[in-house]
Amino acid sequence: MNSTQSPGAAVHIEDLDKYYGSFHALRKINLCVQRGEKVVVCGPSGSGKSTMIRCINRLEQHDGGRITVLGTELNDDVGNIDGIRREVGMVFQHFNLFPHMSVLENCMIAPMMVRKRPRAEAEATARGYLEKVRIPEQAMKFPGQLSGGQQQRVAIARALCMQPQLMLFDEPTSALDPEMIAEVLDVMVTLASEGMTMICVTHEMGFARRVADRVVFMDGGEIVEEAPPAEFFTSCRSERTRQFLSQVLGH
Amino acid sequence: MEMVIVAPPTPGRLEDLRRRFFATPLQTLLSLISLAIMVFVVWKLLNWAIFSAVFTTSGGPEACQAAAGACWSVIAARWRIILFGLYPFEEQWRSALACIAVVVMTVLSCIPAFWTGRRIALVWGTGAGLYYVLMKGGVLGLPHVGEEAWGGLALTLFIFVTTCLIGFPLAICLALLRRSDLPWISRTTGLIIDGVRSLPLISILFTFAVVLPFALPQWMVGDKLYRVIFGSALFFSAYQAEIVRGGMQGVPKGQEEAAMALGMSYWQRIGRILLPQAMRNALPATINQFVISFKETSLVVIVGFFEILASGNAAYGTGEWRFAYVEVYAFIAMIYFVFVFSLSRYGAFLERRMSVGER
Amino acid sequence: MISLLRNQRVRNTLLQVLYVGSLSGLVLACVMIARRNLAEQGITSGFDFLFKSTGWDVNFSLLPATANDPYWWYFLIGIVNTLFLGTVGLMLATIVGTIVGLARTSSNELARLLGRTYVDIFRNIPLILQVFFWYAVITHLPTPRAAHEAFGMLLTSRGLYLPIPNVGRAALVAAVVAIIAAVALPAWLGRTSRLSQPIGERLGIQLTAAATALATAAVILAFGRLPDLPLLDFPALQGLNLKGGLRIPPEFSALAIAIAIYGGSYIAEIVRGGFKAVGKGQMEAALSLGLSPWRVFTLVRLPLALRAMLPILANQYVWLMKATTMGIAVGFTDFFMIVALTINHSGQTLEAIGILMTGFLGINLSLAAVFNRVNKAIALKGNQLRG
Repeated sequence: MNSTQSPGAAVHIEDLDKYYGSFHALRKINLCVQRGEKVVVCGPSGSGKSTMIRCINRLEQHDGGRITVLGTELNDDVGNIDGIRREVGMVFQHFNLFPHMSVLENCMIAPMMVRKRPRAEAEATARGYLEKVRIPEQAMKFPGQLSGGQQQRVAIARALCMQPQLMLFDEPTSALDPEMIAEVLDVMVTLASEGMTMICVTHEMGFARRVADRVVFMDGGEIVEEAPPAEFFTSCRSERTRQFLSQVLGH
Repeated sequence: MEMVIVAPPTPGRLEDLRRRFFATPLQTLLSLISLAIMVFVVWKLLNWAIFSAVFTTSGGPEACQAAAGACWSVIAARWRIILFGLYPFEEQWRSALACIAVVVMTVLSCIPAFWTGRRIALVWGTGAGLYYVLMKGGVLGLPHVGEEAWGGLALTLFIFVTTCLIGFPLAICLALLRRSDLPWISRTTGLIIDGVRSLPLISILFTFAVVLPFALPQWMVGDKLYRVIFGSALFFSAYQAEIVRGGMQGVPKGQEEAAMALGMSYWQRIGRILLPQAMRNALPATINQFVISFKETSLVVIVGFFEILASGNAAYGTGEWRFAYVEVYAFIAMIYFVFVFSLSRYGAFLERRMSVGER
Repeated sequence: MISLLRNQRVRNTLLQVLYVGSLSGLVLACVMIARRNLAEQGITSGFDFLFKSTGWDVNFSLLPATANDPYWWYFLIGIVNTLFLGTVGLMLATIVGTIVGLARTSSNELARLLGRTYVDIFRNIPLILQVFFWYAVITHLPTPRAAHEAFGMLLTSRGLYLPIPNVGRAALVAAVVAIIAAVALPAWLGRTSRLSQPIGERLGIQLTAAATALATAAVILAFGRLPDLPLLDFPALQGLNLKGGLRIPPEFSALAIAIAIYGGSYIAEIVRGGFKAVGKGQMEAALSLGLSPWRVFTLVRLPLALRAMLPILANQYVWLMKATTMGIAVGFTDFFMIVALTINHSGQTLEAIGILMTGFLGINLSLAAVFNRVNKAIALKGNQLRG
């Protein structure tokens, strides 16, 4: 495995380029996230923010630049990719729970198959995390029987069961009914307060204000602005950021 | 307060009939025509098959031929040939047991409790193994009976089961290869699948039975029966692969991404996430494919096997029963009908259940 | 080396090369072995044999055939036979299927029951069993001496004998074309003028067109008539055999009947599915506009159902075309049987198999192309029916 220039960094992205055919989706992105840091990424749709965090665990393959995650460079080496995916948890917009497995099985499958944990241990961990996301009583149900908010909390628990060092959130609340957003955000806030390294793509500016160490604003495949929330919301430099903020906060 | 519940007036039985069948002139006409056809056919059929039919062998073929109705004596006289072909007479109980083993296996695999990859494989493996041991013998004190002596219904079932046993895993492999991200693999596989699908089954059976021995080294030629089974499995798998692929396309992309993000390997993703969901989507079409391929086993008669159709031809084709072809074909048709109809009803039931259940 | 194997790109390339390489290697090895084995039997590979005469006869051919004809001509005969049987079979199957399918969707319970029974029975009996059955039935018919007779047709164990007009071959073909035109022309006129003209006027034009075409056919027949013979040539017994008329051999009729009955049961289900796919809303809308039930059927229900059926119907037709290969079971010289006979007689195994595959690929592709065109032509424009 390759070591990196900044050994403390959880994620280090340098000059990242990504194309879909001839469409230039990400243009020379540079981003560094330290261990324990919480970063919120926002921006209008199509700005490349999802693409960027999907590059971090190689759900998308980047075309140029370097990505180093937890000290390992993400390249064509299959071992590196597997290693990084084991240590990076991800929560999706549409939950993506496995509908043919119970909630408990959803949480147990990866620790058992990937980390080779014995069943009893995996079940204990899973129950622990389900407790933590406040739905221990739903363990034996199937995802289809739960509400959206509950499903997303299961998805968070499932990712946590792998005991990742870094969590990626790809618009975790966008597909939820308004009354369910709070329960998911609460779980995320708790997680943040326990010191988890988090990168969240979200439009929840309240959440950003409360937990983020840094807010990153993307537009047109570029990082336009990067600042601590206090600064970001009060005195942003770029016109595009100001326009976006007025649209998100305006109503 | 007093509540008066007024029931809608229940129509009398006659009124009900009138409404259902004679509401308009067109309806009346349709009803009458249908009724006439039904009465005519049912009467003719009953008369032929039961009232004027001969059931015993006592009178011999002559008494039978003289009768106006069906001559079921031919079945009474020749049923063993039809069901077991040229299998040694004293050993035919083995053939019967083997058939029962296959039927039990099929019924078991229709029960949802057996729908995990491991259990289904266990059931089918045991069933096929049991069949093979019973039929072939050579162990447990059973005399050895070579494949060339297998025949009738037992052979039909054997070809069907082995076709599915080989064809199903092959179909899954083909489907996975076809949806591969690697362009040359998916293209080549697509070429194979489409090529096989564009050919008639008979031409594939013929190629495997007659042509392949030229194209293989001596040690690989093997028995004609197994070559034909392999050909039929290849044909089955080309169709089934497209069904499985359709099932896979019905699984949202996010499922695989979630599994990837959890660090699961390719085979774990396929085995635990993709296939279980894809097979569920593909179930009705799969049953349908089984039905079709059961009917298509009858085509091996063309490359010279003594399966149920050929044994039926033999049952009436020789000597004194030459006139009784309708009865023999009706009997074979009944056997096919029982298998195929129950399987397709089961498929329809599953389809309904799934469309009502979890979307 | 190990780190190289862990590299995704290297792995992907390697896998593809291995897969394609081993498959083509397998095919190549098979062909090499086959060529060697055949060479040992004194058979030289190559397509020269196509121009040698076959030395054997075919029992059914639309084209003139003798044992002196070369192999390529025989292959052509086979393809024409396959296409002919396939076309006749699928036309009959479509007629049967439409009737049964309509019965299955009718509002009359008895008709529905009848249709359902038909489908349940004939769908669940293998086609080849039905072919054998009908072949046995026809070959067990009385001998020519005791033939059943109706309207000048003779039904015997040697086949069905039809009266045929005593006209020249060219005139016959022209007349058939004219008769097809008599059916197709009004349909085409009806399509192009759509709803722009009043119904009565349109009907008039259509009838005129049909009548003109039919009259043309009559004129052609009258002029093409062979001199000194009666207008119709009736089959008649001469000695132990039947002379005259058009003989339809039992092999052909058994196949055509079986395909019609079996294929009809499948097409019936397709027809039913097509009608089921028409949304209730569309029909209610049409009824609420005050259209008569008949016009709702012809203007709304049928056109929409046809669009829903066509793609599935196309697959079924391709399947039926391939089902003609069952001809070999009863000895009808379709394309596949010609190939099998060629392998038997000439030993040119690889070439014959190659021709077989190319032939069926060609038939499949051209059928698919035809249906794609039809599909595109009648597809609903835009996406107003989605969702």
